[in-house]
Amino acid sequence: MITLRELTKRYGETVAVDGLTLDVKGGLVTGFLGPNGAGKSTTMRMILGLDHPSGGEALIGGRPYSSMRHPVREVGALLDAKALHPARSARSHLVAQARSNGIPVSRVDEVLEMVGLAKVARRSAGAFSLGMHQRLGVAGALLGDPQVLVFDEPVNGLDPDGVRWVRELVRSLAAEGRTVFLSSHLMSEMQLTADRLVIIGRGKLLADTPMADLLAGSALSSVRVRTPDMADLHTLTRHLLKDGDVRVETPAAGELVVRGRSSEQVGDLAHGLGLRLHELRTVAASLEEVYMELTARSVEYGTGDPLPDGPRSGQTRGAEA
Amino acid sequence: MSAVTADVSDDRGGRAASGPAGGGFAGAFASEWTKLWTLRTPYVCLLVGLVVTSVFTFYYGSIARINDKPVQPVGNASVSSVVLTQFALVILAMTTVTSEYATSSVRTSLLWVPVRARVQLAKALLSALVGFVTAMVWAVLGIALAWVPFRGHAEFELPKVAYQAVAMGVYAALICVLTVGVSFALRTAAGAMAMVFFLVTALPGMLVGLGGPVLLAVNDYLPQTAGGYFMLGDGKAPFPDAVSLLILLVWAVAAQVAGLLVLRRRDA
Repeated sequence: MITLRELTKRYGETVAVDGLTLDVKGGLVTGFLGPNGAGKSTTMRMILGLDHPSGGEALIGGRPYSSMRHPVREVGALLDAKALHPARSARSHLVAQARSNGIPVSRVDEVLEMVGLAKVARRSAGAFSLGMHQRLGVAGALLGDPQVLVFDEPVNGLDPDGVRWVRELVRSLAAEGRTVFLSSHLMSEMQLTADRLVIIGRGKLLADTPMADLLAGSALSSVRVRTPDMADLHTLTRHLLKDGDVRVETPAAGELVVRGRSSEQVGDLAHGLGLRLHELRTVAASLEEVYMELTARSVEYGTGDPLPDGPRSGQTRGAEA
Repeated sequence: MSAVTADVSDDRGGRAASGPAGGGFAGAFASEWTKLWTLRTPYVCLLVGLVVTSVFTFYYGSIARINDKPVQPVGNASVSSVVLTQFALVILAMTTVTSEYATSSVRTSLLWVPVRARVQLAKALLSALVGFVTAMVWAVLGIALAWVPFRGHAEFELPKVAYQAVAMGVYAALICVLTVGVSFALRTAAGAMAMVFFLVTALPGMLVGLGGPVLLAVNDYLPQTAGGYFMLGDGKAPFPDAVSLLILLVWAVAAQVAGLLVLRRRDA
């Protein structure tokens, strides 16, 4: 488990990470989201002892990273896949890593095989593509077979095959009971991968909640209603709009998208009015929509327009997901 | 794979005694050793040093004979070559640090060995070891190559030869330690190289060039000058050889402390 308590990082006047308190638990994939400059990488670097916190603490299994005798066996980290010497071969890089923590060299060939780099293991890493770098980074993270994994943008630069591979790998690691803490900018990917989400903006915690709750609880979730009778549609709309907190859109003829009411409420209302419905279903907001809604207020130089009336809101993108 | 998992979970709480082997300083040193010899730079440095030693000592012997210099210990040829060849070792030691900053791989190193002093000590010790062994090899090679062109203008006494070869090793080791410290303090190859070159080579040249009792006295305490006294061991130094060695040690330790202060305080 990763524990952050009032974790803070200041650079002069700027507060990059502002009193972050949260637990990242084992057996789950915890996604870490936030706009650029929100403090994600700084937080991860503090967890891994690379940056010194200005206040608070970051512990892994109750201990600071720097106190571990075999950190590679306890925590697998992928921060910057290109942070290696380009002239050294992939295998030599991993052998040096293995020796630093008393890991048998045979394990190096095992992980190289696992990430699909066995054939290019003796080539210098500088000649690798971004995707191969990411795979090498993942190999390094897995080398010590650790219980805790910290990945910063692991799918960055991977092809669709690689993205899927990382997703399945990460899910299987969590399924084995390991703690997985993962940042990504790809919302659709995060929605498929993470069980739980931590969202920060301007260094502050915006959300720390299970993915399902976040999506279900969003004001962007909507109810889609379809009826064959235009008159019924108007009746329903009129009744729904009697209360001020409900918003209704008509994306196509005979269709209604209702926000602010659950499908049960809309269904009961239609039943009470004796209206004929052909479709009634809840459309959960996509992670992207919820994320934009949450962070819109925290983006320093954003447009300042909280999403709901933006161009995307009328579309029920979640319907396809 | 599963064996490692078991090791990891069994190790929770318990430290070295019951936990898996490896790691710690031994692990850090083994890792640095692997990193050093899996790049081309050290081999190039050692080869360049070998070539320069060969040429320099051969000419040293020839010139001593041509100019009809008084008989001197044959090892003086090797000792004199150090003013040049030390920079092959300086570059070797420096790149173990600066190449990691240039490629950001220092962060990766600190993830493997999160105790910063341990990383620095491993690099310092490794460079010292390489410097010590290499300089002794160069010393012996230089003696062998200079012996022929000296043609009687040098004497071979085994204890003296042994002293000078070991002293060269010790000097090279300490210059390497100094370089690693400076490199951690300055982080860039250009900065570290400029600083080491200024301190080791340029400054003594300036002080001797300007002359005067004060500047010459200061010069005696600079690493290369004190090192020269120590390696020649001819009794002409202003202080005993042990003091010369101590001066070298102080320089090396001071550079290490400077490097450690920067390494520990700053974010990686």
